[in-house]
Amino acid sequence: MTVNSLSFLAFLAVTVLVYYLIPKKTQWVCLLIASLYFCWTLGNGLLGYLSLTCLSTYAAVRLMGRLDEKLEKQLAGLAPAQKKQQKNVVRKQKKRILAGALVLNFGILVLVKYDDFLVGNLNRFLGIWGRGNLTSPGFLVPLGISYYTLQSMGYALDVYKGKVKPEKSFWKTALFLCFFPQMTQGPIGRFPDLAPQLFAGRSFSYDNLAMGCRRILWGIFKKAVIADRMKPVVDTIFGHPNRYSGMTIFLGCIYMSIQVYADFSAYMDIVAGAAQLFGIRIAENFRRPFFSMSLAEYWRRWHMTLSGWFRDYLFYPLSISKPAVRFGKIGKKYFGIRIGRLFPAIYAMVIVWFSTGLWHDASWRYVLWGAANGAVMIASMCLEPCFRKLKQALHIPEESRGWKLFSMLRTFLLVSLLKVFPGAGSTKEALKLLKKIFTDFGAELSYEAFFPKMEAMHLAFIGVGLAAFLMVSIFQEKAPARANLARKPMAVRWCCYFLLITCILCMGAFEIEMVGGFAYAQY
Amino acid sequence: MEQLMNILKELRPEVDFETETALIDGAILDSFDLVSLIGELNEAFHIEISFDDVEPENFNSAEAMMSLIRRLQEEDS
Repeated sequence: MTVNSLSFLAFLAVTVLVYYLIPKKTQWVCLLIASLYFCWTLGNGLLGYLSLTCLSTYAAVRLMGRLDEKLEKQLAGLAPAQKKQQKNVVRKQKKRILAGALVLNFGILVLVKYDDFLVGNLNRFLGIWGRGNLTSPGFLVPLGISYYTLQSMGYALDVYKGKVKPEKSFWKTALFLCFFPQMTQGPIGRFPDLAPQLFAGRSFSYDNLAMGCRRILWGIFKKAVIADRMKPVVDTIFGHPNRYSGMTIFLGCIYMSIQVYADFSAYMDIVAGAAQLFGIRIAENFRRPFFSMSLAEYWRRWHMTLSGWFRDYLFYPLSISKPAVRFGKIGKKYFGIRIGRLFPAIYAMVIVWFSTGLWHDASWRYVLWGAANGAVMIASMCLEPCFRKLKQALHIPEESRGWKLFSMLRTFLLVSLLKVFPGAGSTKEALKLLKKIFTDFGAELSYEAFFPKMEAMHLAFIGVGLAAFLMVSIFQEKAPARANLARKPMAVRWCCYFLLITCILCMGAFEIEMVGGFAYAQY
Repeated sequence: MEQLMNILKELRPEVDFETETALIDGAILDSFDLVSLIGELNEAFHIEISFDDVEPENFNSAEAMMSLIRRLQEEDS
């Protein structure tokens, strides 16, 4: 049951109806039952894996919570030195519990998602000695495992840090981890933001219903008119790259960039709208990333809950760890204070981007994609003073509209170019295509070179969809208040609804071969 | 406090650290600034800021940073 299917919309409608008909204090139970049913429909043993994560997370946070409570009582009446000693004892105990939960949950993720990758690489390595006939267990990857594992471990880490008090009810913990709108593709929620909303009782609100429905409608529009219509041209180019010139392949990268954004943000709109129907605001994942003026800014605006997770739970601990500090000292010794200061961050970024690549897919091409992203950001950090001097020498006004537009275009083209890694079928092919883009561009002004195997009608529909998407994005960026449809007169609102529904019905890709699931669900 | 202000001014000269109270929440300091700042503070004040202390409320203002430094120094003494 994908979130853009009629069956999901029917399931959502029934759940909303029941949610508001039952007493407020049992509403969270309704969400839990609906979420468990939704997980059951996703199959691949998801409920089993999810149960393990729920149980281990619940046990870990409760044990850490009890240690904290015990410590609080013990500290009263102790001298400062004894307090510190006692705190250290408890910290060590909590660390062991946390480590157990992390090893178990990330262990499951590695076993299920990376078994083929690990066994394949091991076989290649053993092949050097003429061995390497190991077979992978071939586990079925349950949908959403990469997302709920990060969410659950983020919660455990917050409890470890003492930032969050652990939830006492197992079933409420389970609801936090499997709330159905964000089950398959996130967003990766934080306990203090999401949990209180899930457990609170609410009365029916017309505003929530209207806001939720509007957002779902907008999401379906983006998915059906833009993402699903663009998918065939992206598949055509990357399915037969030998038939096309470097220019068409580069265009394919650009199309993929737009298609993936339309697809993932459409999913976000649908699930945020679905949650809004219950009066729940889930975390946002996008802040118009294509308006970013640098790759670092792009990653602060794209898939924000994932980059926020990696920043808070991986980048910070790594960059202030002892090896990072040692690395910083070496940097200062050999490269001077300015560059040396960046070394702890560089050390952490290398690991973070390697992990980000692997998180997306168990393959070397994604590792390379992550490495390329990291390398560009590290280079721009190190060369920042040179760029600044160059801009001053060339008298480039950084605040001018022209420079801003140029920076946005440069970032967009770079992000698109890197799509060659996810687009290609293998690492070797990705590198081959990259070489082709730079050495055999073969600019050609023909319709087939620009839009291979795409009917003119499809192109016109995509054009309309993209124009609407761009207009709304500009409004949201420049004047968020004006982008809020709720504040418009009723006639304007209903005209917009009518137009959107008409566009979805007339221009949406509902032909069976076009309609697909969501791109980010595979991760 | 003076030593802290010097470190902050060297890090980001254009920011008014005396009045700013949302350095992290308002995204005035980014993650790279924060990492660099932590290294500087550890060295200058002979403290060890750990992962547990990396929270926006400890770095949102110069005042909050000073409180964190004092707490860590007290714990160490």
